[in-house]
Amino acid sequence: MTTYTICVFTENTIGILNKITILFTRRRINIESLTVSETERKGVSRFTIVIHHDSREAVEKLVRQIRKVVEVLAVFGYLCDEIVYNEIALFKIATPLGSKALDIEIINKVHKAWVVYWHLDYVAIQKTGTEEEIFQFFDYIKPHGILEFVRSGRVAVSKSPHSLVDYLPEAEWEYYL
Amino acid sequence: MELKEKQLVTRQAEPLADLSHQPEILNGSHALIRSLIAEGVETIFGYPGGAIMPVYDAIYDYQDQINHILVRHEQGAGHAAEGYARLSGKVGVCLVTSGPGATNLVTAVADAIIDSTPLVCVIGQVAKHLLGTDAFQETDVIGVTMPITKWNYQITSADEVPEIMAKAFYIAKSGRPGPVLIDITKNAQQELMSRPFSYTYCEKLVSYHPRLSPKADQVEKAAKLINEAKRPFLMFGHGVQLAGAEKELLELVEKTGIPCASTLLGLSSVPVDHPLYAGWLGMHGNYGTNILTNQCDVLIGVGLRFDDRVTGDASRYAKQAKIIHIEIDPAEIDKVVKAEAPVVGDAKQALQMLLPLVKPNDHSVWRNEFRKYDAMEDEQITQPELAPTTEKIKMAEVVRMLSDKTKGEAVIVADVGQHQMVAARYYQFKRSNSFITSGGLGTMGYALPAAFGAKVGDPSREVVAIIGDGCFQMTIQELGTIAQSGLPVKAIILNNNYLGMVRQWQQLFFEKRYSFVELQNPDFITIAKGFGIAGHTCSQRESLSESLDQLLQSDKPYLLEVLVEKEENVFPMVPSGACVSDIRLC
Repeated sequence: MTTYTICVFTENTIGILNKITILFTRRRINIESLTVSETERKGVSRFTIVIHHDSREAVEKLVRQIRKVVEVLAVFGYLCDEIVYNEIALFKIATPLGSKALDIEIINKVHKAWVVYWHLDYVAIQKTGTEEEIFQFFDYIKPHGILEFVRSGRVAVSKSPHSLVDYLPEAEWEYYL
Repeated sequence: MELKEKQLVTRQAEPLADLSHQPEILNGSHALIRSLIAEGVETIFGYPGGAIMPVYDAIYDYQDQINHILVRHEQGAGHAAEGYARLSGKVGVCLVTSGPGATNLVTAVADAIIDSTPLVCVIGQVAKHLLGTDAFQETDVIGVTMPITKWNYQITSADEVPEIMAKAFYIAKSGRPGPVLIDITKNAQQELMSRPFSYTYCEKLVSYHPRLSPKADQVEKAAKLINEAKRPFLMFGHGVQLAGAEKELLELVEKTGIPCASTLLGLSSVPVDHPLYAGWLGMHGNYGTNILTNQCDVLIGVGLRFDDRVTGDASRYAKQAKIIHIEIDPAEIDKVVKAEAPVVGDAKQALQMLLPLVKPNDHSVWRNEFRKYDAMEDEQITQPELAPTTEKIKMAEVVRMLSDKTKGEAVIVADVGQHQMVAARYYQFKRSNSFITSGGLGTMGYALPAAFGAKVGDPSREVVAIIGDGCFQMTIQELGTIAQSGLPVKAIILNNNYLGMVRQWQQLFFEKRYSFVELQNPDFITIAKGFGIAGHTCSQRESLSESLDQLLQSDKPYLLEVLVEKEENVFPMVPSGACVSDIRLC
């Protein structure tokens, strides 16, 4: 199984998420992670979808089917070495009285993670990195007792020197400042 | 005054000019009908109901400008609109209510997407404030139809109507055509627009750019392959008729001497008696065309999608050949077969660009190989089917006699099953755009409403539906629509008292275990008479000719039931999952 990251630019309309994901469902492709948000251009959304698949050909066909959706502006499929990618994870760690103290130095310097919220009974730690780095940190922090753990989907930019938005159709886009 | 001028700003000012008596501020329903008129829509197939009533109230005012045809079931509206679109080349329009009205239409929408038929389906929906409350006749139609529409959209305010309708028509008819579904909430139908109605045609969209003109380098590569080919074979599909590329196709094969064959939906694009026409392809296609697909060195596909009924086992399909795939939909390239030379674009434009680049050729030795297989097929199948010794009439005789009597120029609308394959095999098409059938979805019950829609789309043409006894009972109620219209739609039921194709498969592949395929049929002629349609039954070979004359000479709708051989099989046949060159003659 190879991991593919599919970037989709769409118009930001009701139901577009459904119109995209329904194509994966029909082909029995599971979505490992999905991140959608509006871009710097008003009314344009960017999807980052991660899937595992053993056939590059099938992924290429899927990409062409996504392109067919009327609201879709552009689609790009990448292998992991073609992109810079990251996720963000939040860990809620129990800190009851008498528990082993957190080593903030290791957390900060080795794992590049930060405590972003303090509570009497727990702290919330934010860790940014690849899936692998996040799970390394997970293993490190686990003995402290993880109350809650959540990962965002992957976000990615291509390693190509071009901007993906250069490939968007020409239009009078409005920008957020 | 200024407002009035703005209101009339439209490219086609004529249809709106005499509407100046209409209120300047329209409600959503009036805006909808005015949008349809502006798009040049002449006919709507529909069925009223609660959530679409304001639109029906508006139609009442426009009856002199737009013809609404009341069907008997929403599926009938959908198939009629499909038949209309296929024959007229225009967008078919349906109008139905929410909930069951919409779900009844779903089969036709699914049929239209897979056969690339342009439809705009307007569907009533509960008021915006009731959405998601399980209101009476509320169904999430947008959700239901997402995978089977080219585009769908829910209108929730009257102001959206003109812009969305313009977009709907543009998307439905441009590029690879397909169905567009517009769900309009009742409040949007009732409320007044906040500005005067004006209609601007949609000619482009930021996110949707169908490529019509192919890239020159793609065409050059294709031309090079064609010029170097020793055994080239061209196959064409529905895309040729959709693009109106019949003339260019003929010019190409005549210049290059390349034999050509048709898919089911491509039939009639090239006259069957053309010397370069090799026949049709696929599961029940001709013997030579299927076998030689696996012997050609260059395969040129024009406006087709290499459906599994054409390719059989795709892993053993034309592996020896370099494939040129001329196709408007980029998603079809490499979907089933890998193309050495893809040409993305409209078939007409692609062929026009290709024509000057290809060298004149003859290929007569290669072409004669088809004739060798034709002779075998003719001797073993065609001749015995056309001159049978059976007591009962065979389907092939009926179709061929109909073909002779109509000089191959009628529009044949075939339903789905054995009779469909027989119609495709034995009707001698001489004129393009003459075969309408449900190819991709294989929708039983398609033919009767589609034939009606086709007749509405072009009343000047003789339209004959060929229907099986099973199919006929799926949309039999549309006899009422036909009777009410009075249009001379002709229907032939080839009655074998079986679901023939399923029975054939059970015989061949399930050890003759006939599981629920025999029908106890009603008296079709009495039923037709009940609807006010004349008809008769023909059971004897001697009276077949006279029966067909009676059918064709009637200036009213007419139903002819022909009692045919009960257990006949359609051959040749590529068994399901087999490779095309494994085609069987018996």
